Amino acid sequence: MKRGRLISWAFFLMLMLLLVGLPFILSEYYLNLVITMIIYSLFALSYNILLGNAGLLSFGHAAYFGIGAYTSVILFKRLGVSLIPGILAGGVSGGLLGLLFGAFVVRLGGTYFALLTLAFNELIYAAAEKWRGLSGGEDGVAAMRPAFHIPGFGGIDMFPTKNWYYFVLVVVVLSAAFCWYFRKTPLGRLNECLRENEDRARFIGYNTYASKVVIYIISCFFAGIAGALAGAFQEFVTVTFINLDKAAEVLIMTFIGGSGTFWGPILGGCFLVYFNDLLSSMTEHWALIQGSIFVLLVMYAPQGLSGLIIQLKTRLCPTKQ
Amino acid sequence: MEIISSIPVQALHGLVYGMLLFLVASGLTLIFGMMGVLNFAHGALYMLGAYFSFTILQWTGMFWLSLIVAPFLVMVVGMVMERFFLRKVHVYGHAHELLLTFGMAYIIEELVKIIWGNEPVRVDLPHILSGSVTFLGIEYPVYRLFILLISFLVFILMFLVLFKTRAGIIVRAAVSNKEMVDALGFNVPMVFLLLFGMGAWLAGLAGVIGGPYRITNPAMASTIIIDLFVVVVIGGLGSVGGALIASLLIGQLQSIGILFLPEFAIVFEFLLMALVLIFRPHGLMGEAK
Repeated sequence: MKRGRLISWAFFLMLMLLLVGLPFILSEYYLNLVITMIIYSLFALSYNILLGNAGLLSFGHAAYFGIGAYTSVILFKRLGVSLIPGILAGGVSGGLLGLLFGAFVVRLGGTYFALLTLAFNELIYAAAEKWRGLSGGEDGVAAMRPAFHIPGFGGIDMFPTKNWYYFVLVVVVLSAAFCWYFRKTPLGRLNECLRENEDRARFIGYNTYASKVVIYIISCFFAGIAGALAGAFQEFVTVTFINLDKAAEVLIMTFIGGSGTFWGPILGGCFLVYFNDLLSSMTEHWALIQGSIFVLLVMYAPQGLSGLIIQLKTRLCPTKQ
Repeated sequence: MEIISSIPVQALHGLVYGMLLFLVASGLTLIFGMMGVLNFAHGALYMLGAYFSFTILQWTGMFWLSLIVAPFLVMVVGMVMERFFLRKVHVYGHAHELLLTFGMAYIIEELVKIIWGNEPVRVDLPHILSGSVTFLGIEYPVYRLFILLISFLVFILMFLVLFKTRAGIIVRAAVSNKEMVDALGFNVPMVFLLLFGMGAWLAGLAGVIGGPYRITNPAMASTIIIDLFVVVVIGGLGSVGGALIASLLIGQLQSIGILFLPEFAIVFEFLLMALVLIFRPHGLMGEAK
């Protein structure tokens, strides 16, 4: 047990060192790709709070990602807000929308939950498309990402990819650390308990409805942060941040990586972003290959890639079980 | 004034689309009622109907042949989907089945793009169905009346099968309690397979007749699936009668709504679906399970 823990920490430290060192190894193009991977990993992590931990299948998580992106980009453009408040505002707007919709959706489960999240996603999509004065309709909104101000120190220009990479890395690692810690908190435990047996949790005396709403808000907050980062990264946001394809993308990422483990969604996010980039340069039918992998995994590896890795690990060193 | 005078025509448009929607939605809602699976690929089956018909027309030039053959081809696709894919993941639960059909819809859409291209294809109608007729001072396209006729005939046929035959009784019984039907000695997996095939056939038929009317293009699946979900939710998952009412309602909402608030017709649709899910999750006619 202790040895296993040591290995985990060693692995974590090596990963961190690698991430810190990446800008010195990679070309500009691949560094940009890694930034996208990191941002989508956070989006998938936020999604997995619902799919993996709560067992809720959402078809509408793009709404929170999208509103986070719109909020930060519009704030950068209209009010000249600086970087940190802009990104935070993206998260808060995701959380607020999560409160509004979560109050309704968490009452339902299963297919009904999936359908209601889908309906809300389409509502937000329609709003973004029609409210041209604010969102620019199909043309979208563009804004340069502002510098990162440290009080009493001055600003750090976010234009160089390297600087922006480190900023995104810090924000995502902090958010991911919270998501990891969240699973160990009483509320995180309750979340998994609700998935297994909601009635029993209610009998013990938990306010299951309020807990679910809070959990939903947390998930939406981080989706909003991921969206704000993605918006600031592209310096441009359109309705493609909210559409059903985006909602499907995060679902596919999380599922391919495996919803059963903490690092599964991270793996899925990185894998899918890299894979799509690789395939789209080779063939125009990358979406077909992506869909086929998804269907194969659903049929033969319901725990995703991380499930396959765990299976492989137990087969290689069976004593560890 | 112009708006008022175009209401009757728009209402007729709405009726045509509503009936078409019902053809597809009836299979979807029955499959959900029986298997607990909301088939995301149902819209893709509808699209396949339209494209199969297009290809048959290209090869033979016979519209009536494609009207007979294409739905059966779609039925085969649907049965393969159920037998070799859906049934395999049944043990993992409904979420996995939903994800599987979602993945299949994705694959079918991409395949359609590869085989038939990204651009809409043109389906030429036989001479007898093109043009328009005038009645009660309204000039109306013959083809839309033809859609109305076909969908109405199928609707009657389906009600007769469901409510007057032994097979229909078994299907309805399995929708309301499949364990009991299984215990009585019926081959429930076979009933599933046949029902899935029938749903696919209906979707395929709707695709054949709907293709020339609503433009045969690779986006037609994702466009109709949203309307379908709204219909089955409002009607009540598993209820054919509810699906009929909801289909006609959505047809009218779209065609009349577009007259008054063209920007917001689609918003109302989702709002209606959200409200029904919040206040009456089992829909207008669905039974609480």
